[in-house]
Amino acid sequence: MKTSELALPTLKCVQPASGNIEITGGYTSDLLSDVMAHLKEGDALITIQAHKNTVAVASLMGASAVILCHGRMASSDMLEVAGKENIAIFISSGSQYETTVSLAKTLGK
Amino acid sequence: MKARIDFHIHSCLSPCAALEMSPRIIVARSMAAGIDCIALTDHSCTENLPAFHQACVEAGMNCLYGLEVSTAEEVHVLSLFDDLHRALNFGQMIYSHLPDRPTNPKLFGEQPVVNVDEEVLHFAEKLLNIGTDISFFDLVPMILEAGALCIPSHIDREVCGAISHLGFLPDLPYDAVEVVGGIDPEIACRWPIIRFSDAHYPEHIARRFTEIETEAFTVPALREAFHHLLLK
Repeated sequence: MKTSELALPTLKCVQPASGNIEITGGYTSDLLSDVMAHLKEGDALITIQAHKNTVAVASLMGASAVILCHGRMASSDMLEVAGKENIAIFISSGSQYETTVSLAKTLGK
Repeated sequence: MKARIDFHIHSCLSPCAALEMSPRIIVARSMAAGIDCIALTDHSCTENLPAFHQACVEAGMNCLYGLEVSTAEEVHVLSLFDDLHRALNFGQMIYSHLPDRPTNPKLFGEQPVVNVDEEVLHFAEKLLNIGTDISFFDLVPMILEAGALCIPSHIDREVCGAISHLGFLPDLPYDAVEVVGGIDPEIACRWPIIRFSDAHYPEHIARRFTEIETEAFTVPALREAFHHLLLK
């Protein structure tokens, strides 16, 4: 599934990415060192860490998108870096668990 | 003597800090703001401390030598030494506990090690502002045993603060705790509350500081001075 096609009732896209970026899986974590150790290329990162270092780590690891849970708003500098790095940012009204489950269902996993 | 202290300042070595944050700029701005003693506390690396030491000596500024360590839980903790060589040894040990992965300066920011004349000597290779593999509960005694002051940073901040990442502030023998918001009386009864600038840009310097009454700027004297800040 492409990031542009990701449409769940609980998700809102606040920073789109250009091009056909494929979401191949997901990784759920709020520790960026853990994300750096385990996220696989193409995973969407599901987290509550709504700041610009999250985008830097996501970009470094080849994440397809960042999904912020519990309706946490992305800071303006986070959105700016996401624009530069072409990483899509979504806001989910659900918890990390709910968001992970609905993404997994959508991806057929 | 009464003294204004700011023991939480980042130099250009920290990837999240401005490149203008050279040791001389930090010292000059702090002096102009009326700060009596400062500490350099880059993220998990002490390689700019020699230049900072030189800048403080030439300007007659009192200083401590520190670093801000990120624990395995990504909680930030200040370690403050009154001896440069002890700080450098401790810093080397902490750096070895960072993930063994080179940083990407385009994504995270440059990490230049500089001399006092603001010449770049080299760049720190590993990403500095990420968690080490040392837990918060292990780090606190390590800092104290190394002879440094131990102060959890911005404990009330959501990002990298002890309360948000650990759920509560563990009952450990910190010398003080740094806060950025309001004061929780339960915490203020237990540990001295201090405020530092956490400066990443020149204009941040002295935006917060703490006034203390101290005999000297040594670890034992400061420990004693902090004790007087406890809420009775």
